[in-house]
Amino acid sequence: MFQTAQTELVLIPSAIRRRTVGLAALALLMFSGLSVFAADSAPQVTLSVAKVGPREVEPLTQRSVVRDYKFAWTNLDLALQSNSTGLMNGLFVGPASAWLSDEVKGQKQNGISSRYSNQIHKLDAVFYAPEGDVIELHDTAEYDLEILDGSKAIHAEHAVVHYIVLMTPGADRWVIRQLQSVPQF
Amino acid sequence: MSWSINIVCSHRRPIRWGTKILLVFAFVALGLAQDANLHAPEAPVAGSPAAIGTEGSGSATLYLVGPSSAVKHDIELGKSVSLSAQELQSAGRYVATICSSKCNSVTFFVAPAKPANVTFLVHPSRAPVAPNDAVSGVALAFDEFHNLVLTPIAVQFQLTAKGSALMSRNAETRDGIAWFRTSSGRSAGPLQVTAFLSGDVIARRIVQQVASDPCSLRIKGQKTAKGIVVETEPVRDCSGNPVPDGTVVTFTAKSGNQTSSVDAPVKQDVARATILAKGPVVISAASGVAMGNEVRIGGGN
Repeated sequence: MFQTAQTELVLIPSAIRRRTVGLAALALLMFSGLSVFAADSAPQVTLSVAKVGPREVEPLTQRSVVRDYKFAWTNLDLALQSNSTGLMNGLFVGPASAWLSDEVKGQKQNGISSRYSNQIHKLDAVFYAPEGDVIELHDTAEYDLEILDGSKAIHAEHAVVHYIVLMTPGADRWVIRQLQSVPQF
Repeated sequence: MSWSINIVCSHRRPIRWGTKILLVFAFVALGLAQDANLHAPEAPVAGSPAAIGTEGSGSATLYLVGPSSAVKHDIELGKSVSLSAQELQSAGRYVATICSSKCNSVTFFVAPAKPANVTFLVHPSRAPVAPNDAVSGVALAFDEFHNLVLTPIAVQFQLTAKGSALMSRNAETRDGIAWFRTSSGRSAGPLQVTAFLSGDVIARRIVQQVASDPCSLRIKGQKTAKGIVVETEPVRDCSGNPVPDGTVVTFTAKSGNQTSSVDAPVKQDVARATILAKGPVVISAASGVAMGNEVRIGGGN
């Protein structure tokens, strides 16, 4: 009562086979192109407020922090890619702004540029001041970092980096005041 | 089974075996010479010089990309490369890359230096006396290069008013932050709030303590030619502090079925109003949640 599995070999004329392979390669190229485009989209940012204290983070504040943090990283990537500080849009202030400006300046002087693509940021709010004037976040960031000298890639890695972030409320947005990477939390 | 290496010159003339072996050794040697390995500095600290160790020989280019710097230097392989204090001022992750025939990278973290500054946020700037949790403060520890110092640091918060200590609390920074919340003092006047970090880093802020809401009201009235002049006794909060000028007291006059009211601000501890009324009048006063006594004027009382 056992059946033996049989593989049926179908012979395809070589011309058709070549065309099929060509079409498959084209489709693969198209899809791989699409996936590259899709992967290199805006940063993904999530926020957890489970560990925060002493003040609770209001839902509206949570949304604003996520929106502005995402926007800040989009602009950080653009600024370091194009070596232009004009793209920071006031999302970085104080030391964070000065550091980023200095990095852009250094890159520009030496013909270096950096790319932060495929960004995923997992934010944990760990401190929210009693009066709501400063929030501290832990960001476990994951991205593809590429450093180029002119058009030559000198460093490429998929990095998981931990950041301590201080954000303060500005006139109409939350701004990054400190963005300091650490080996671990 | 035999191994063979076929190296063919551009004009298609086979190379001899000895030459082949020599070439292979040369390639291997070249590869070893240009394999520019590098070693990260050990436990670098912000604002202190450090060195990157390199292996190999020949010239190469060093790239150092950090939180606030991006530099490029020509270097000699096999020697350690000095990084200046200025190049390592910002704490965080650095990528050092050495390129000769190929590029090798190493990443390392620069730690913050010792605390040198404290950012001290104290709220509010004016606080009513006595309420619980009226004053709060947040201290953030930074080194001289504005890196957040993340190792736990002892912080002492002190509140003093008129030379006497009202509160002293010890805390420890966590991820660079320490905070407190406490009641304000009992008497109006400046409250000095101080944060001491590691003893020698100090920040001071002043909170102006003002009287709370009036605690009770006593009024008195007098009939004059212009009407009934009514005024409060000095208005004070429950701790005995005179309420600030401008605190509003509402006087209400009832005469038969008619009721009228007037708001009068406290000026030099007392609120005054003139009420135009004929016949017997019952006047009362209120400010915030405090109600005053009733005064009957005219009609025999």
